[in-house]
Amino acid sequence: MPLSLSDPNWYPIASSEDLPFRHVYQGQLLGRELAVWRADDGNVNVWENRCLHRGVRLSIGINEGQELKCQYHGWRYANRSAGCTYIPAHPADAPARRIENRKYPVREAYGLIWSAANDEKPFAPFPGAEGQSWFALRPMPVNAAPEDVVAGLARLAPDDQPADLLPGLTVRLGEIVYFVQPVDAGRAVIRGLLPETPADALAALRHHNEHLTHLRDRLERAAARKPAPEPLQPIYEKVSADLATMPDIAVPRGNTLNVVVSRKWQSADGVIGFELADRDGKHLPTFQPGAHIDVHLPNGLVRQYSITNGPGDLLSYVIGVKQENASKGGSKVLVETVREGDVLAISEPRNNFPLRRDATRTVLIAGGIGITPLLSMARFLDKSSLPYELHYFTRNGESVAFKSELDALHGAVHVHTGLARDAIRGTIDQVLGPHQFANHVYICGPGAMLEMVQETAARLGWPDEAVHFEYFQNDKTIDASSAFDIELARSAMTLHVPAGKTILEVMREAGLTVPSSCEQGACGTCLTTVMEGEVDHQDVYLNKSEKASNTCMMTCVSRAKSARLVLDI
Amino acid sequence: MTITLYDFELSGNCYKLRLLMSILGLPYDIVPVDFFPGREHKADWFLRLNPFGQLPVLKDDDLVLSDSGAILAYLAKKYDASGQWFPDDPAITAEILRWHAVADDITATSSAARLALGYDYDFDIEKSQKGAHRIFRLIDEHLWFGEREGRDWLCAPSHPTTADIACFPYVMLSEEGGISRQDYPALRRWTDRVRRIPGFTVMSGIFPAGPAKVD
Repeated sequence: MPLSLSDPNWYPIASSEDLPFRHVYQGQLLGRELAVWRADDGNVNVWENRCLHRGVRLSIGINEGQELKCQYHGWRYANRSAGCTYIPAHPADAPARRIENRKYPVREAYGLIWSAANDEKPFAPFPGAEGQSWFALRPMPVNAAPEDVVAGLARLAPDDQPADLLPGLTVRLGEIVYFVQPVDAGRAVIRGLLPETPADALAALRHHNEHLTHLRDRLERAAARKPAPEPLQPIYEKVSADLATMPDIAVPRGNTLNVVVSRKWQSADGVIGFELADRDGKHLPTFQPGAHIDVHLPNGLVRQYSITNGPGDLLSYVIGVKQENASKGGSKVLVETVREGDVLAISEPRNNFPLRRDATRTVLIAGGIGITPLLSMARFLDKSSLPYELHYFTRNGESVAFKSELDALHGAVHVHTGLARDAIRGTIDQVLGPHQFANHVYICGPGAMLEMVQETAARLGWPDEAVHFEYFQNDKTIDASSAFDIELARSAMTLHVPAGKTILEVMREAGLTVPSSCEQGACGTCLTTVMEGEVDHQDVYLNKSEKASNTCMMTCVSRAKSARLVLDI
Repeated sequence: MTITLYDFELSGNCYKLRLLMSILGLPYDIVPVDFFPGREHKADWFLRLNPFGQLPVLKDDDLVLSDSGAILAYLAKKYDASGQWFPDDPAITAEILRWHAVADDITATSSAARLALGYDYDFDIEKSQKGAHRIFRLIDEHLWFGEREGRDWLCAPSHPTTADIACFPYVMLSEEGGISRQDYPALRRWTDRVRRIPGFTVMSGIFPAGPAKVD
């Protein structure tokens, strides 16, 4: 039977030991080339062997542990999701997470790595697979048609004990099972399994290798006498535009996803850890270091929490929640009423705090619960062996959150406990030093600390673009004294916004449904495109250049400097 | 001592010497020789250095040496204080020289295919490619069983030798001769290990490997 590109069967494509850590294996199944790599967490990825960017083979890329880096322009793709996490040509850009490489199904079993051309069939063990501790032989590539290889294997059987032909190009000869991997129309790999590890494993491996080498030579001699079959012509489907385009500055809030609280624990004095996982055990969406998720709370509030995870760590998100008494009811609800096993709705991750990975020196400064995004950043830099220093200021030793995660880092991690304000200032002064080319500092912590670092950095000559921070709260006093008109281009409506009312309120009163969440200019939910007019930005969500572009605004707090604004609503 | 390498940047045989000298931390000067398209290795001035008209040539003060394998042995014996790159032991010496000969076979096949495809040389491409595949199969098998026996390198010692340096470049450059290494997974893993040797350096077409896993 000729090979079919759409054959839904599972075939072995490698041995488990073909995939040591930090290696990328080059494979092929039914004409399609594969880049296969094992992440540091043990997960095996089977991807189409080309970078979405310029089509270069990912099998010559670098396995960074939890991300695969293309050798050509350094695009990085996450373990499990194959989502792009970083584009060096856009080092300060936020989400590239929608860009996702083509993946194939994968299963590691019986000492082999299995894959299939499509998702049509669930993986099923071969007949008689269970109950044995299978031992893989040295794979034997053969330049012959897979069906001829199957026939050749079957002919190895003695007359009184014919070979057992199993479905999926599989031959059982006595206790040995041989799988024929259909590489292409004229190429195959014989992958044999013994039911257990032989007493003298090396001698057995050499014996079978010699045996299969003879078979290979016979099959290749026979194949050379026939016309070579036409290689399969796989179509390299274009990845859907949705998965391959660079999102705009801000991704509009998409659907929420439901996650289960798989673990809740006291990470430190005053900090509760929550681990959120998919209910079916699938991986969660790709995120970048510095990203956060919206968590929809049982009382209807929506709050933002940073993801603390390292790269390619997508089986769950871990967030840290501050147990504060002054909470408006956000953290409090999470801490007091949400329990393990509860289901919460969260948004897809979004990133207002992108990490450059081209700095010669990266300084991460965390205050209290501000450790959460910086822990993620440190983990990404750590995996890529990039230099960084993490300075974590806490009230006392008991309030050091995520201690074991910090201990696992290889970089310079400094915990500063119980320092008074002046001492903190002195330490930051020392840590930063005068600015040098390609140095970047990232700060997350209480407002006062943020200001202190910004002031110190400015005094030491650090330019604004080297000082990175993120606000979760807008502490500014909103000036709502202006009055102006808004023209809603898509709704064909002109509305007047009087002093004391927000654009959002006026639109809602006019019967429009407009999404919003924090309503203090911090979360980005109500981001709106501005077509005409000059915006009076009062949010802490947009960065300076975004504000200066005058192309978007937060309708919950920002207003107009001009008499009229035209909005894309 | 003043070492001068008569070098063509895109030559894998010249790269073998740059690689070992980089690993050994040896300073050297380069005299570029326009192998392609200038065919300067057939110019009179070069033939006076090496009548065989082949790159590389290495001068160490007044001593003039040619043949990449021979020069690898010379550099290791003279400048490698650790003695690991070309050990004195007779059996290991024989083993290394055996692989230096394999390296020459790789040059005659993989490099020939590359020269035919990329440098306008009139070599039999199909024959060269077939020859390279035959050698790669044997090396893959040798390295696969090596991994099983706890041997990471081509020769018996628990560290790399000039045998690994000599065989490495035209294995890595084989794709430029239309020779895929997909069927040689153990050979591909070995190229990762070579690229992780401290002091490793690259050439056009040979990329560095990422760092190994640290626990």
